[in-house]
Amino acid sequence: MLLAYQFAMENPALIRAEGIEAMEFSELSARHQISGVPDTVINDGAARVVGAVPESYLLNEVQQMLQGVK
Amino acid sequence: MEKLLNDDILAQIRDVFQKMQHPVELVLFVKQERCEYCAETRQLLEELSPLSDLLSLKVYDLQADADLAGKFGVSDAPAILVMAREGETLTDLGVRYMGIPSGHEFSTLIQAIMLVSARDSGLSPETRAYLKGLSSPLALQVFVTPT
Repeated sequence: MLLAYQFAMENPALIRAEGIEAMEFSELSARHQISGVPDTVINDGAARVVGAVPESYLLNEVQQMLQGVK
Repeated sequence: MEKLLNDDILAQIRDVFQKMQHPVELVLFVKQERCEYCAETRQLLEELSPLSDLLSLKVYDLQADADLAGKFGVSDAPAILVMAREGETLTDLGVRYMGIPSGHEFSTLIQAIMLVSARDSGLSPETRAYLKGLSSPLALQVFVTPT
């Protein structure tokens, strides 16, 4: 989760990083079919990263997702 | 009410907060109805915020302060925004947590405070350059459970 926060800090006008307690917000978790944590949902499900990952991995996922949008 | 943080924990956090560099404000949104953990989250942050002169806390109500909630894009509670503060000016760095930060997530909150206090992500030059050059919004929702 800290990694997502680090990402947001670099461009807070466009990036938002939100930690979500999955049990407390169970409807949201169910909507994104969360089964294990941490689970990072990117742009409401356009991509996702399960587990704790290094910086380069998350960056790569974000890059691939945004390329797909173009 | 019984304290949530014991003396040992308070001492440890004070120690960590010694290294805070710039002011940080915790902005908490609570709601009156259907919020199992709002009161406890508020108490937790009220015990935490006096531990450094560089840390402050503001508590708002999701309904009563709907304009502010809208401005920050907060739609549920409890929501904690970890913001950079310079004097009276707050800067939203996009760092937030939904729910009560207990267990491992309490440590993460402390780390988030330190991160915002440093005003530096610590990321590699490549990552920084890419993120600064984004042209469309990026939302990262990290689902966690207290363990």
